[in-house]
Amino acid sequence: MKFAENNRISHRQLYRQMILAFLAPFLLCLPGEGQVMGKSGIIGVFLAAAVLSVYVLLLLRMVPWYTDLVKSLGAAAGRAAGVFFLSYVILTGGYLLNLMAELIPSVLVTGISGSVIALLAAAVCSFGTGRGMQRRGRMAEVSGGILLWGVLLMLALCLGQSRMSYLREMAETSRAGGTAVLNNCYKVLCGFAGTGLLPFGLKDVEKRGKAGKTLIFGVATLCGILAAALLLLPAVLGWERLKAEPYPVLPLMAGADLPGNVLARFDVLWMGFLLYSLLFALGSLFHYGRQITMRARLGSGRWWLPAAVFAASAVRAGGQGIRDYYGFYLAYIFVPGLLLIQLCMAFLGTKRRRKRTAAASLAILAFLLCLSGCAAIEPEKRMYPLALGINVSEQGFTVDYGMPDLPQATGQEKPEENGSVSVLSIEGKDFEEIEEIYDRSQEKYLDISHVQVILLGNSLRESGRWRELFSYLKQEPFMGENVYLFVTEDPGSVLAWDSGGTSAGEYLTGLLENRLPGDQKEGVTLRQAYHQWYQDGTLMELPVIVQEEKGIQVYLNSRDGA
Amino acid sequence: MKKTKISTNLRENEAYIRKRCENCADILIRPMRLGDGPKVDCLMVYIEVAVSNMMLDDSALGKMVNHFWEVSPEHIQEFVKNNSLGIADVKKLPDMEAAFAALLAGNAIFFMDGYDQAMKISSKGYPNMGVSEAETEKVIRGSREGFSDAVKTNSALVRKRIRDTRLKVEEMTVGTRSQTMVQILYIDDLVHEELLEELKNRMEEYEIDGILDSGMLEQLTEEPWYSPFPQYQTTERPDRAAQELLNGKIVVICDNSPYALILPSSFSGFMESSEDWYHHFEMASFLRALRYLALLAATLLPGLYLAVIRFHTQILPANLILSFAEAREGVPFSSVVELVFLELAFELIREAGVRIPGSLGSTIGIVGGLIVGQAAVTANLVSPIVVMIVALTALGSMVIPNEEFASAFRLLKYMFLFLGGYLGIYGIVLGIYLTVAHLAGLLSFGMPYLMPFVKREDAGGAGEGILRPPFRKRKKRPVYSRQEEKLRLKRRDEG
Repeated sequence: MKFAENNRISHRQLYRQMILAFLAPFLLCLPGEGQVMGKSGIIGVFLAAAVLSVYVLLLLRMVPWYTDLVKSLGAAAGRAAGVFFLSYVILTGGYLLNLMAELIPSVLVTGISGSVIALLAAAVCSFGTGRGMQRRGRMAEVSGGILLWGVLLMLALCLGQSRMSYLREMAETSRAGGTAVLNNCYKVLCGFAGTGLLPFGLKDVEKRGKAGKTLIFGVATLCGILAAALLLLPAVLGWERLKAEPYPVLPLMAGADLPGNVLARFDVLWMGFLLYSLLFALGSLFHYGRQITMRARLGSGRWWLPAAVFAASAVRAGGQGIRDYYGFYLAYIFVPGLLLIQLCMAFLGTKRRRKRTAAASLAILAFLLCLSGCAAIEPEKRMYPLALGINVSEQGFTVDYGMPDLPQATGQEKPEENGSVSVLSIEGKDFEEIEEIYDRSQEKYLDISHVQVILLGNSLRESGRWRELFSYLKQEPFMGENVYLFVTEDPGSVLAWDSGGTSAGEYLTGLLENRLPGDQKEGVTLRQAYHQWYQDGTLMELPVIVQEEKGIQVYLNSRDGA
Repeated sequence: MKKTKISTNLRENEAYIRKRCENCADILIRPMRLGDGPKVDCLMVYIEVAVSNMMLDDSALGKMVNHFWEVSPEHIQEFVKNNSLGIADVKKLPDMEAAFAALLAGNAIFFMDGYDQAMKISSKGYPNMGVSEAETEKVIRGSREGFSDAVKTNSALVRKRIRDTRLKVEEMTVGTRSQTMVQILYIDDLVHEELLEELKNRMEEYEIDGILDSGMLEQLTEEPWYSPFPQYQTTERPDRAAQELLNGKIVVICDNSPYALILPSSFSGFMESSEDWYHHFEMASFLRALRYLALLAATLLPGLYLAVIRFHTQILPANLILSFAEAREGVPFSSVVELVFLELAFELIREAGVRIPGSLGSTIGIVGGLIVGQAAVTANLVSPIVVMIVALTALGSMVIPNEEFASAFRLLKYMFLFLGGYLGIYGIVLGIYLTVAHLAGLLSFGMPYLMPFVKREDAGGAGEGILRPPFRKRKKRPVYSRQEEKLRLKRRDEG
């Protein structure tokens, strides 16, 4: 109806679609190991923004040529261009699905198969993709603002974790040579390759002639956030660590908490925001994929397109998956090919069945849900060590798990219950073996996500085998990076010391934090220790715990007289 | 349809009526001879209870019949033809079908020998409950009046609030057997004609035997039919209906139903209470924001709880997760089963509370909530925290002003519960994506359901969002009204 629906989307909806579809893929895939970072990265981002601002204006002029590829390029060439665009859609979709299949089981929901995650994502994102641009526009308008502000808020909250000294490392170490800048600029442009599909959607934008400003604003917002992230990441994680992390935005929130002890960590929420953006990106690819199949007269693509994307994410050939060759395809085939096609364009100037399929899809989803459901573990079936004590032993390592006394910790104890602190001690040649011994001997699942302190034995520190410990801890995504580190002669006996009912974890954390603002003691967190480890391979000076007859004392540094 | 003419011979008419009304004990056929001196044969046909004692002097019928005893037959014909008595709502009926339609609508029908038309004499119609207090949309400030079962009473209640002839009331009958009267109310210069046309087309799209409530009409005309989200807003408050008419919307009133349908509907409309406009804007805005939070709690809380305790324990402070673990110690079921069990128990209590009359209903709430909940915790069937989660969820859904809208989210809650329980935060994000995608695709009579969160024009001052503007700043009507009549408030000295 004219008063409400004229089958067009507004500029705001277009802008928010761009934000939703590009933000998470950019933040996840562009910074980090061997990718865009450092001074050259930041300059490259701004350079790319300038190039893209011109490019999107050209895209606006190409809209009529995209309306019917066969008419614009001829039957064979039009179909070939359609297949080319489709290959991008399928491979990019496959890449995103594969990314989700790898990341979600390892950092978010352990124990669920990556294939199930990918299949569910493909099924959900293909829902309603043929219902027109307006639907996607409205989806973006409703959720795009929330996502954008959510991401900005989280990045702002993360500022408290940053250190100027870390940022200086980047400023001093990274170079901004011409080749590096151009290289980074091209990587960002490749990331924006999806804008090449925009003309398929721009025909549904109202006042299309004036959409250039919106497109440029979208590019500027995305590049601005990316540049801010490139500054924030080294300031929080440190330059050397940033270079070694494959997905540095993931541990970005591992040390951040909310004031008021409402949430201990909000990295799960951060992941939730990124996931929504990834799902939207995938949904957009399906949507544009269907537009392309129709305009190139290749059928509707309703069913086979999600299937092809899923297949692309799952197939491995010669031990290599899509993530291994996607970068090459994007940089050397798609982006040049896209420009070539656009140059050529410029030069040449039934309800029952639907019900059955819906029912079958629902049944498959329900089945998958049941299959995936065995991964969850109830809270009472977990063991929550609040402190870990680690030392070397004859066999290799000894790990002491300092458990809280549940009734006392929760204030639900009865008078007759004994409030003693329990310590579980396991010895093994390495940490994997200790985990295996734990699995063989203990009924409860080991949940180390609430560890508050780690006590390193003197022998561990002196032998240099703390590096093995750090390597092990790095693989544990649920270990918070705001955990305090201490060093002591015998971690086991410190953990076993009865501090009046509270666990060593709470006692030591309280000892550092329960002071007036300004008088708070500065402990050493795991994140700081990681930073120095990545920086020069050494272990920074840790606070020392000295056990005496009457109790324990903590010396923050050697000047304190430990 | 073939029309049966009314004969000038009263005997023929009587025979026809008696044949059609065979075994209809509630329809009374009263022959009478009226007139001073020579008598004229007349026939009064009416439904026993629907028409009050016609001989009562103060009724229109009583007045007429009493008067006819005293005049000559010639004068009776004169009176009938010219309605010289000035009785309100007397209408001549040209054929038997019209006469029967009027009869079955609760009116008395008067036939006279030698006259080939019948006369409809309106009575108070079928019995109904009369105007009573709105039960499901109670307010602290505002009118107490609620719609009744009678369509005419309901439109009168709206007319009482908008005394303007630009308020149009169109009547139509729906249902081949029930012949239910439906009224379409709109303000002529505010409503979009396409919208009105679309509504009429949809109402005429199906032929059905009977419409017994506005809910049936609603389901018949909504598109898509499978969505759990209501596409008509319902209200039993005349002031709310009047408010929406002034916004440019259409109100549909169905006989025998105390709920009026408002269209087009939108997400924010369902979250609005009529008293939002009677309170000061600060409090109204706060309450609206609270309702949106309640909506999130009602939908997501159980799923989030399961996702956190089963997958993402790191998100909670250590003491809190330890409390949860301690509380669940000894509970034999998994947390998903535990939560589903308690949610279903709550649904049973809610359903029982609705079905059981009066004071017993509230007793059921207390028995269910306190005793069953407490007993279940003591017997270690559920943990105390789950009771709290279910209670908060229930409170959240009760805060949503529209019951049908709240029901849709009650259903969604189970989807999120399973997704969160089996896929953690990933499942919750999948669920949110699906819900947003579905809502984004929904249109209520061509209007995006997510209005005004997706707006195509500057709706400044319409006051439809989460925050309510100060009353003096609410200068424009929302998008539902015609562009040329957007202005709703201006200072007199502004001209």
